[in-house]
Amino acid sequence: MPTISIFQEDFSQLVGQPASMADIEQWMPLVKGEVKDTVHDTGEVRVELQDTNRPDLWCVEGIARQIRSVLAGNLKTYPFFCTRGRAKRQIQVMQGMETVRPYVAACASLGYPMTQDGLAQCIQTQEKLANAFGRNRETVSIGLYRLSSIAFPVTYGLVKPDEIRFTPLGFDEKMTPHEVLTVHPKGLEYGGIVAHHERLPLLWDTNGQVLSFPPIINSRELGEVQIGDTELLVEVTGTDLSMVILALNIFASNLADRGASIEPIDIVYPYETAMGKTVKTPCDMSNTQQVSFHAIEQALGMPLGQKAIQSALASYGYQVKSTRQGISVKLPAFRNDFMHVMDVAEDVAITRGYDSFSPIMPQTFTVGTLSEQEQTSDRLRDLLVGFGFQEIFSNILASRQEFVERMRLTDTEHESLVEIDNIMSLTYACLRPSILPCLLRVEALSPRVFYPHLLFEVGEVARVDEEANVGSRTVLSLAAISAHPGANFSEIHSYLDLLMYYMACPYELEPVSHPSYLDGRVGQIRCQGLMVGYIGEFHPEVLEAWQIDMPTSGFEFEITTSKS
Amino acid sequence: MDSPNQTDSLHPLEIQVLRALGSATTESLKDPELVRSTTLAPSQISMAVGWLLTKELVHLVSETTTTYVALTEVGTLFQQAASPPEWILQTVQAASGEGQTTTVKDLQATGKFQPSELSRAFGSLKKEGVISLGSGGSLQTTGQKSASVEALRSLLNQIHEGSQPLDSFSPVHQALLRQYSVKRGNTQEPFRIDDHTERAYALTPDGRNLLPHLREDAAQEISQLTPEHLKDGSWRNCSFRKYSIHLRPPRLAVGRRHAYREFLDTVKTKLTSMGFQEMRGELVETEFWDMDALFMPQFHPARAIHDVYFVKEPNHAKRIPEPFLSQVAEAHKNGGSTESKGWQYSYDPERAKRLVLRSQGTAVSARTLATNPPNPSKFFSIARCFRYDQVDATHATDFFQVEGIVLGSDINFRTLLGLLKLFATEMAQAKEIRFLPAYFPFTEPSVEMHVRHPKLGWMELGGAGLFRSEVTVPLGVTVPVIAWGLGLDRMAMVALGIQDIRDLFTSDLEAVRNMRRQF
Repeated sequence: MPTISIFQEDFSQLVGQPASMADIEQWMPLVKGEVKDTVHDTGEVRVELQDTNRPDLWCVEGIARQIRSVLAGNLKTYPFFCTRGRAKRQIQVMQGMETVRPYVAACASLGYPMTQDGLAQCIQTQEKLANAFGRNRETVSIGLYRLSSIAFPVTYGLVKPDEIRFTPLGFDEKMTPHEVLTVHPKGLEYGGIVAHHERLPLLWDTNGQVLSFPPIINSRELGEVQIGDTELLVEVTGTDLSMVILALNIFASNLADRGASIEPIDIVYPYETAMGKTVKTPCDMSNTQQVSFHAIEQALGMPLGQKAIQSALASYGYQVKSTRQGISVKLPAFRNDFMHVMDVAEDVAITRGYDSFSPIMPQTFTVGTLSEQEQTSDRLRDLLVGFGFQEIFSNILASRQEFVERMRLTDTEHESLVEIDNIMSLTYACLRPSILPCLLRVEALSPRVFYPHLLFEVGEVARVDEEANVGSRTVLSLAAISAHPGANFSEIHSYLDLLMYYMACPYELEPVSHPSYLDGRVGQIRCQGLMVGYIGEFHPEVLEAWQIDMPTSGFEFEITTSKS
Repeated sequence: MDSPNQTDSLHPLEIQVLRALGSATTESLKDPELVRSTTLAPSQISMAVGWLLTKELVHLVSETTTTYVALTEVGTLFQQAASPPEWILQTVQAASGEGQTTTVKDLQATGKFQPSELSRAFGSLKKEGVISLGSGGSLQTTGQKSASVEALRSLLNQIHEGSQPLDSFSPVHQALLRQYSVKRGNTQEPFRIDDHTERAYALTPDGRNLLPHLREDAAQEISQLTPEHLKDGSWRNCSFRKYSIHLRPPRLAVGRRHAYREFLDTVKTKLTSMGFQEMRGELVETEFWDMDALFMPQFHPARAIHDVYFVKEPNHAKRIPEPFLSQVAEAHKNGGSTESKGWQYSYDPERAKRLVLRSQGTAVSARTLATNPPNPSKFFSIARCFRYDQVDATHATDFFQVEGIVLGSDINFRTLLGLLKLFATEMAQAKEIRFLPAYFPFTEPSVEMHVRHPKLGWMELGGAGLFRSEVTVPLGVTVPVIAWGLGLDRMAMVALGIQDIRDLFTSDLEAVRNMRRQF
């Protein structure tokens, strides 16, 4: 979810009327925005935008445009999306680009003298689009240039890493693309996107001046836009044609909203694209969709009527027509988020305001129940609480050290764990295979807390199981420990025995050896012939490993129900 | 204060202390004096004084710390036999009296003292000029008297009678005592120097007023009724000491549910009472159920390595059940039979098998949708979820999500709002609600619900929406479905008086025992 800065005065100009802070707050639902922070001195408002499918709203111009459209009841159309004929300027794409970074889109912006606010917003939009929408420049990156110094046609082609030199932004000396990748901070940050190619993408003009090394860095000569510049070139490169064009459409609309006139540029490919070999950009890619207004009414639960739906959609910026089948809708060129009629239904609801829909209480009768596992664990919890045990509730990610080493399980059959591949810290590296380590952790941290310590926890554990589809099973488990000077096997056995009696679960203890427990004071708990757990006095080495000074005994068993 | 009543509740020990203070000739008594003037042990005195202080019948007059010197076990041995220098002198003199010579070796051979003790004693005697080394290593007395040996002897004898204040000795002796006292690293010394704090107590005016009312028969009182008293009826001849019932009772270690779990228990009770059926899932999920089935495209930013925990081994599931895999793949690619355009990208069925730790409870709902659930039906789960986040006061490594679904032919945007309104009143006792547009990849329309909680003010209670057809249709569901999730942790934290989310799962037993609902 991107968060952007907008400035009240700039915003008011773009909306076309003075906008108070209260207005801004009130309009936010129209763009799924939330005001996070305001600075009254500068009029800065930090806005978080929720909709990851609406990159057109991640900028002040887009937010203002959406609000302007709703206030006016319709959206003014942008003429440059539907110009015909040969464009004044051309970008020629070289053979070979299709395997490196196949697509480019560009336009010229004239007549808007760049202001400080405008430039700051352009840079913010450039970053948000390239990072959040363009996956950190991998699929989309954007460049702005001083148009007047560029001689068209421009070439979008490939060069050998050390074939050419230019001065990148932020440096005084000339570098080859290879040097940019190894020295320049942006090269180090984004180089991974193209560095593996034998030849690297570059934009240069007909005089051989370098515009930029996309998606890494602009040249300083042509790519350092200054306040006061009135003629700009906007260029987008990337790996997905419709995303590249959408990003340019958004940028072009933004500059148009600030007063620029946009002149399209023809992109001439040597290879076939989804839109042909010559693509005029910006361009309107959105299709007219037939939607049933009944479907919208049904989804919203309100008989709004076709007219009201059409007028709501027009307010929201759609081009709407009634047809024999229902209504045809078309999204503006800077949006590409139509997938299903429900997307349209939501826009109707947003335009009319969610508060205009009165809630209907659910009427249907259904039976509420807890799962059998939950019912069983609740019974066990009630019993143990009655026995005097304090319930513990633990995080279930912890370290291998806690689950294996401290339990003396290294090199044993009990050693395997469900481990995380991309761990953030060793402390949270594995899912717990049993609950007892969580209880021993409590005991280890609470030596000065009033004794006795009778503790239990019922919860989920993950057991490695090669047979299972996901390589492990989530199992409901119950563990209890007793820690006090007289804690021993027979005491904890009494609790287990009573628990099993009340659960009407006959069980047997079979003497076994288990590294966590003292030999001769450990048993395998078996129910109906199945091994379900262990009971015993913890081995002094286990207690030492946890730095526990108190004799501790415990048990743990898997909770099975007829359904599991 | 109601004096007679209060005297009834006095413990016999307290009565003895009050009497001793009342009959003392001085205004106050120190604890050793109290021991002397009662028949009680020091521990009993300190217990009784403690009670009397809390009842404000006695007050602390002064507190003086005195340094005492006492004999150690070694010191008692030295007093009874001899200290090392004393023994050397005696031995050497006795030998020379018999016309024999003694060497240091001879002394060591007796094994009476450690070599280090002997060499230290020998050194100081030689320095004093009391003893000299003759030819062949023979030891001889010079005939001079050893002032230090004599001083040590007199100190041993004096202190043997009982510990004494250090400042009652002359400065020279004090230095000697310090030299021969137990220090860290050397415990084989005759003296021990300790600080003793003596406290002097006196009666408060309330305590003095009580004196005439003190019971005479305190000794025949009983404090605990026994089975014997009841069996033989002897209780009839007993008087029962009355208790000071306003004193804090002793602590108990009891059995109790965990307060946060108890909070979640009330949530699940509420949900079942509203007709929701519980569903459960697995901690380890495939990306398919965790994300693909929820129409999150495989390139979605929230699926990156820095958002979700991936499982190390095995890292992929064996299989994804059909027809769900194909149908979900179609929905992603081009919408399939969902009347949607889909995400328009090439879906990777291998990626779908990638194993993650469940990142959202909605995965459980997705699995339920694939089980051909009845129409109508309502489900919920309280599912443990995991996010790749730095753990801090607002982010836990694993946490619970309360979420669910509602299926029904009558489901639409307004019944969705109705359900949320019901949640607001049932879960948060809220009367004021705001619905705001929201974005979730799997619902459209999507809503965020803000409620005014009577104690917490405006807060976000949850998010919900109608499942997209791209979610329901590939899983075989054709009726509309509400998906909802509630964010209850903040409510739980305030209810439990907790500021740090990590404290919900604390391993500190004291904190667990003290945690309780504030409202």
